[in-house]
Amino acid sequence: MLMAGTSLEILSINVWHVLMAIGNLLILVLILKKFLFKPVQNILKQREEEVGKIYSDADEALSKANEDKALYEQKLMDAKSEADSLIKLASEQAKRESGDIVSAARKEAERRLKNADDDIELAKKKAAEDMMDSISDMVIDLAEKVVEKEIDKDSHSALIDDAINRLGDSL
Amino acid sequence: MEIEVTGAKILFELPFGITITETQVNMWIVMAVIAGLCIWLTHDLKVKPTSKRQIVAEFLVKTAQNFVEGNMGKRFAFFTPYIAALFSLALGCCFVSLLGMYPPTSDLNTTLGWAAITFVLITFYKFKTNGLGGYLKGLTEPIFIMAPMNVIGEFSTPISMAFRMFGNVVSGSIISALVYAALASANSALFGWLPGFLGEWANNYPILQLGLPAVLSLYFDIFSSVLQSFIFCMLTMLYIKSAAEVE
Repeated sequence: MLMAGTSLEILSINVWHVLMAIGNLLILVLILKKFLFKPVQNILKQREEEVGKIYSDADEALSKANEDKALYEQKLMDAKSEADSLIKLASEQAKRESGDIVSAARKEAERRLKNADDDIELAKKKAAEDMMDSISDMVIDLAEKVVEKEIDKDSHSALIDDAINRLGDSL
Repeated sequence: MEIEVTGAKILFELPFGITITETQVNMWIVMAVIAGLCIWLTHDLKVKPTSKRQIVAEFLVKTAQNFVEGNMGKRFAFFTPYIAALFSLALGCCFVSLLGMYPPTSDLNTTLGWAAITFVLITFYKFKTNGLGGYLKGLTEPIFIMAPMNVIGEFSTPISMAFRMFGNVVSGSIISALVYAALASANSALFGWLPGFLGEWANNYPILQLGLPAVLSLYFDIFSSVLQSFIFCMLTMLYIKSAAEVE
């Protein structure tokens, strides 16, 4: 009855055919799983991961940028305060130096003034001594002329000086 | 005029009384086409889709997932490949009749096999949810006398599913065959009396068969096929889901 070339009855049940239908369906499930669902789901998962990575990268970059910004602001502030302190330091130093220079100049001037005073005093003394010498010579000349004899300058000089000094005192 | 509607043609005989009929061969052809389609759709997938193929593949997978998850809930998402395989195989097996091949779904063995899987799954989930005792107790409700009816009810589910699909496809084939034969008769009645070679031509080339069978094919082979495949998948999902629900 079941011969090649003949046909089955329109309503016939054959256990082998039922089992083959079941097997075919299960095989197709595996085929779909392996060739359609797995690859597509893998790619969807990869895409999800990639999108997640892009988001986290963006967040990271943003936070890093904020950090950098804070850092630069801090640096800028530091530089500003450093500049301020440098200017302050420089101006202080300049003030101090100018004070030093002025005081040194004043000292120098004082020193020079004193030297000049000393010189004047010395010159005065020298002039007085010169005058005294010339006066004593004049006196001796006068006295020689008066007594007509030579006065020994050396032996009488003490006497003469004394006289002149007395004269000087009374002057 | 004699009209004969038969089942699948037997193509090979194997030992142990196993026969390979058009049903099996056509189903294998459909499976090979589906497998080839899947491989073609999913080769060279990229994270950033560049081809229309990939968009179609992703659309199919997402649609199947949404369909199954929408009907059965997220915890049955792993059923997606099974439902997708069932739908595509049922649809493909109906569509081969468009090519003039024998549709495997008009073989009761095919639909009975698929319905048997559904039945096994339903029973498995009933056991899993209520336990064996709960399942047996459920058969005796509302009263003990109803037990035989309940047992029949259990088995009627897959049988009705199998016969629903089988009946639809086979009735389409029968109606198509009847209409073809009727149109051939009408053709001979209308033009057969023509003298000489004209009458012979009219009998050999039944021109009346041109229009109406195409419309019938549109209904039985396309609309009814899609509808029956859809109903089969829908019933499978809903029965399994309700079997797994705690009462």
